[in-house]
Amino acid sequence: MWNRVRNDGLRLLFLGAMTLGAAFIIASSLAYFDFSELPPFAIEKLPVRFSTLWLASLRVHVTAALVSLPLCILLMTRMVQRCRALHRWLGRTAGLIILFALVPTGAVLAFDAKGGAIVTAGFLLSDALVAFFMVKGIAAARRRDLVTHRWAMGHVFAQMSVAVTSRAMLMALDVAGVSPDLAYVIALWLPVVGSAAAAELFYGVWHSKVRLLGGMSHGLSKVVRSLRVRAPARSVIRVGR
Amino acid sequence: MFALLLGPSSASADDPPAAAVQRRVEKGLLEPLALKEKERSRFSRARMPPQERRVRVTQAAVTLDASGRPYMAFAVDVRRGTEWQENDVVGCAYTQSGALFVKRGDEYRPAEILLGKNAAVAPNVCMPAKARS
Repeated sequence: MWNRVRNDGLRLLFLGAMTLGAAFIIASSLAYFDFSELPPFAIEKLPVRFSTLWLASLRVHVTAALVSLPLCILLMTRMVQRCRALHRWLGRTAGLIILFALVPTGAVLAFDAKGGAIVTAGFLLSDALVAFFMVKGIAAARRRDLVTHRWAMGHVFAQMSVAVTSRAMLMALDVAGVSPDLAYVIALWLPVVGSAAAAELFYGVWHSKVRLLGGMSHGLSKVVRSLRVRAPARSVIRVGR
Repeated sequence: MFALLLGPSSASADDPPAAAVQRRVEKGLLEPLALKEKERSRFSRARMPPQERRVRVTQAAVTLDASGRPYMAFAVDVRRGTEWQENDVVGCAYTQSGALFVKRGDEYRPAEILLGKNAAVAPNVCMPAKARS
């Protein structure tokens, strides 16, 4: 009982923080849609190779993130999870946006990430985790394997949350006086690896427990079937023969 | 804000050119930049604004570019915490027109690019006549 209350409390706290973070990201991303001006993030990146492709990718990536992050937050709420049809349609929308807009543009942007190869690797890893677990999660949902679906989507949401935790860390590291270049590397890798570990800890353990219980019950049912009690009437008949 | 960047230099003829350029960069670039940074959200992947900026004029005398227009090179240093980081921005200021240019990569662009204005590369600026011949 206490574990349930603690888990639900943590979950609500996390979803609340993500909602707040998503709201801040939306507010700070409005600059990307003022086409007469370059956003600050783009200014500091100049000059970039294939600048038109880069800027278009940035705008598509930001738009996709602004839609998919709130959708992911909604999908993780119990309320939406209980409404199966709504959960399914929101999930399909989020899945399409993430797989066909967020992930490809993220990969394009990663190659020109500030901070060099180590930052590029971090963004690509996060991108690959999102794509891998999204495909796995969708496939699991289609074959009604909700345990695997939950585990995979937990990983997707964990990587989506990097958008919020990474920005929060950048602010904290700036206050702590860490140099911006180092802060950028720390504020990327720590949330990417930390989120993957946290997802595995929460959903992976749960996933393996359920799998274990499922395996045990499956094994038990086999044993039970093999120990099926014969109907006394039939044995009587046989004796009668 | 852009009028400050594009407007003529307010330096008087008696000012030493380096002091005039320093004032021009402060008024024409650093002040609008600080204003712009105050408006923007810090919850972003863009680099956090520094605590302080200072201008250094990196030439003792004016140089003439290929068109014979006089300019002086400058650098902007930034302070984050207690440490100063030199040459965060480098560029040049034309002493007669007051036009400011900043270096991005290997090219110079009008300084208004730092304020978000989509400014194209300015060819043949901030380069001494000799270097181009």
